[in-house]
Formats: sequence, structure tokens, C-alpha cells
Amino acid sequence: MKKKRSIYSWIVTCILALGVFICWFPLLMALMNSFKTNRELFTNIIALPSSLKMDNYIRTWEKMHYLRSFCNTAFLAVLAVILIVVFAAMAGWKLCRVKTRLSSFLFGLFVFSMLIPFSSIMIPLYRMILTLGIKNSLAGLAFVYAGMSVSMTIFLYHGFVKSVPYELEEAALIDGCGDIKRFVLIVFPLLRPITFTIIITNVLWIWNDFLLPLIVIGRQQQYTLLLSTNTLFGQYSSDWTAILAALILSALPMILFYSIFQKNIIKGIADGALKG
Amino acid sequence: MKSKAKQNLSLLLFVAPALIVYLLFKLIPAISGMFYAMTDWNGFYQDFQFVGFANFGEIFTDKPFWHSVWFTLKFVVVNLLLSNGAALALAYYIESIRKGKSFFRTAYYLPNMISGVISGYMWMFIFTKVLYYFADNWGWAFLDHSWIGDPNYSFIAIVIVSAWNSCGYLMIIYIAALQGVSPQYIEAAQLDGGNGWQIFWKVVFPMIRHALTICIFWSLNNGFQMFDTVYTLTGGGPGRATQTVALNIFEEAFQGNIRYGYATAKSTVLFLIVFSITLLQLRFMKMQEEEL
Repeated sequence: MKKKRSIYSWIVTCILALGVFICWFPLLMALMNSFKTNRELFTNIIALPSSLKMDNYIRTWEKMHYLRSFCNTAFLAVLAVILIVVFAAMAGWKLCRVKTRLSSFLFGLFVFSMLIPFSSIMIPLYRMILTLGIKNSLAGLAFVYAGMSVSMTIFLYHGFVKSVPYELEEAALIDGCGDIKRFVLIVFPLLRPITFTIIITNVLWIWNDFLLPLIVIGRQQQYTLLLSTNTLFGQYSSDWTAILAALILSALPMILFYSIFQKNIIKGIADGALKG
Repeated sequence: MKSKAKQNLSLLLFVAPALIVYLLFKLIPAISGMFYAMTDWNGFYQDFQFVGFANFGEIFTDKPFWHSVWFTLKFVVVNLLLSNGAALALAYYIESIRKGKSFFRTAYYLPNMISGVISGYMWMFIFTKVLYYFADNWGWAFLDHSWIGDPNYSFIAIVIVSAWNSCGYLMIIYIAALQGVSPQYIEAAQLDGGNGWQIFWKVVFPMIRHALTICIFWSLNNGFQMFDTVYTLTGGGPGRATQTVALNIFEEAFQGNIRYGYATAKSTVLFLIVFSITLLQLRFMKMQEEEL
């Protein structure tokens, strides 16, 4: 019985390992061929590159303004996530603790739109962005992301605050601690676990989002990584070695982020989905 | 105890920042959308006129739109089955082995970190270059198709890329649910002489129903809004053969015609379709969960 189980375990492991190879195959092909010259690529596409030539990377680094695009994306994601966390934590906490009719009305107002898909509000949202004069503005776009994310995030914070004991806040209240001080010093630190999950899911979403920046950002100066990659593809349509280098470059930040925080990311995804 | 009014005031102060961005960028667009859907607003003129339900009447006879709805429905169903099936199988087999669980979990999740845009271009390389290489040099004739140019095959290509992208995410949720199933139940079923297949469907599966509800909900929502991968992989072509609804709306509003009002009417129809399907799904699956 024991032996049978360990043989089974081995077979499954081998099949899973083969699956990983297939799953990573596109990435490996892109990586391998990004070091080749175009001629090398067309003679043998699945061979290893003869040497690690960086020419393609140097070429695309400049062509897609990599550093600028990276900084734009990072600025956008960081600012948006800060806004989302601060706005939603403040609101979620109060909405949970204050029990008035106004409070339940506001909570309902936030939650009811969670099912509206982005493509349905895309055009009126575009008009709103034009009206406010924030087209081509990364900071403005961060506020747009905040507006789209707060309902879900408030819902998560609201649920989490319910499980936090009220005694600590009460003690601080008796000590004459004001609302803002209580929130900053006592409540917010207690929300750490859910805040972490929220940061991770929102960073992943904003970093990899394409359609909204495509509509809002029309100037190259403000391009995000994905917009730059997309433009580069249009310009280099048959120069595959350059395109592959660009794809690797623009996937790299997220792959690094993943290799550093993999445990937290996986936990954050599972928590965010199963509790939300 | 503080008075009600004072409590409400402090509530409003804390909710205000979230409420303002929410009103500006979600609620007002959602509500004003219904109004714009009844206008002839376009990108060429500043002012526009109220046209009642004319846009919706036009949608009825808009063949490319209904083609995109049909294409999206097909895509949603096939993608849902494929990515959930694969994710559930991966989750189950990864949890069943003794060593290397966390390695496999990490490895299979990786594609989810790569955005649809990059995945689309990366797979385009595979479909247009690498597969031909196998067909030509290794004699694998079954790969010798026009994966991007022939609508039937590009449908398969889109499904593959999108399942590749989303499978890891779903797998993580299924794994978390499987970890909540106590091994005692499985051991008891084994003692009763159940085989692996029976144990999975009769014992394990009912206990992870809630994860199934979440994953199917997520797949439906994402599937109906499919944009990035199709935009980069086929651009909706050849012609409009692989156009999804989101792409059709995008084209109507931001390329060519710039008919914002009409495009908004289309997006209202999309909202109604997605809303009723997800609502039905949640109702139906919650009912089943409760029965157990």
C-alpha cells in the first residue's frame, strides 16, 4: 500500500514537471530567441543562442524608452494603490463602526455597483475624464483607478473590521483620542493583513491593465510599459528578435515582483477571492 | 454616547474621499451612460441630440455586433470549461503528491503575472513562427495551420492563450479550497473502498463547491470583457471574425466612426447580458450549495 502510493506520487510528479515545461514553453522560447540575431532565429528557432548578445535589448531599451515607461507605470501603480488603501480603509472602518441609517445607505451605494463591468462605463468615463481635463495625466488616472476600485476594497475592509475587537478603540476613545488619531494609531495597524492582500491584488491589476491607459494616455511622454510595448510592436512588426526582447523587458518587473513576494502573492490571491 | 448627528458628521468626513472618486469615476459614468445611450453624441460635434431608443433599434439589425456577442458567448463557454477544468485538475494533482507542492504551485501560477498584452504577442510568436518550425522540421502536420489567419483556428488560439493566462489564478483558489477539506473524510471513504475517481466526485468535489461558484463567477466576468489578448493576437480579424463585444464597442467609439452615443447603447446591452447571466449563475449555484 505504501509502495503503491509512492509510485503514484512519482508518476504524478513527472507528469506535472512535463506540464511545467509546456506551460513555460512560450516564455522560454521568447527568452532564448531574444538573444539571437534575426538570421540565427530563422535558421533554427529552437536552438540555444550561440552567445548572449545584448544587442536586441540595447536596441529596444532606447526605442521603447524603457526607463521612462517603467517609471510612469510605477508612479501610476504606487499612487493609485496608496489612494485606494487610504480612502477605502477610512471609509470601510467608519461604515462598519457607525450604525446609522446614513451609514447603511452609503455602504449599499458602494456595494451595489460591484457587478458593473468596465466596458459598460468606458465611454461615459472617458467623457468624465475629458470634462475634468485629466486626459494624458498619470496622477489623474491614479484617481480613476481609485474610483473604480474603492467599492470592492471598502467591502473587504468592512468585512475585516467586523472581526476586529472594538475594546481597543473604546479604550482610546475614553482616553480622549480623536477620530483621526484613533484611525492612524490604532485601527490602521490592525488592518495590516487585509491591507497586504489589497495592495497585492491592486498592484497586479493596475500594472497589467491595458484598456484604460490605452484610452486615457495619448502622449508618448506618459506611456506605460504596456503602451510602449504595443507601439513598438506596430513599428517593428517583422523584427521578432527586437519584439521578443521588448516583451521580456516589459514582463520582467512583474516576474521579479513575483519571485520576491511569491508566497505573499499566492496567499493574497486566495484570501482576496475566497473572502471577497 | 455621541449624538446621531455628530456620528454622521464624522462618518461623512471619513467616507468623503472614497465617495468623491467613486461618484466621479464609477457611479456618475454608469448612470449618465444610460442617458448618452439615447443620444447621437459623437466625436465630431460638440453638441448632441436626444434620440430616444433609436440606437437600441439600430443595434437589433447590427450584424457585426451580434456576431461579436455570439463569438464572445462561444469564447466564454469554451474558455470557462477549459481553464476551470485544467485548474481543478492541476490543483487536485498538486495537492495529491508528497514533495514539491509549493514548487509546482509557484511554477504554474507564473503565467498569470504576465499581462494579456504581452501574452498575446508572445503567443503570436509561437503560433506564427515556432509551430511552423515543428511542422516543417519535425513533420508535426497537425500544427500546420494558419493559426492567426483562419478564424476557426484563431478561436482555438485565443482560447489557449486566455486559458494559459487565467488557469494559474483559478488553480490557486481551488488549492486553497482543497486544503480546507479534512483528510479524515478522504481516509474514511478509502476505508469504505471508494476509488480515486469516486472519492473526488462524491466526497471532495461537494466540499469545494464554494470555490467553484467563485471561479465560475470570475471566469464569466472576465470572459465577457475579453479585450487585451484578442486585441494583440488577432486584432479582431481577419475582418471582424474574432471580434469580442468589448473590441466591437472599442472600435465603434475610438476607431473610425467615433459614435460615442451608439457605442454606449451597445455597452448598455453588454451590461444587461453580463448582469443577468452572472446573477443567474450566482442564484443557481448558491441554491445548489445550500442543498448540500
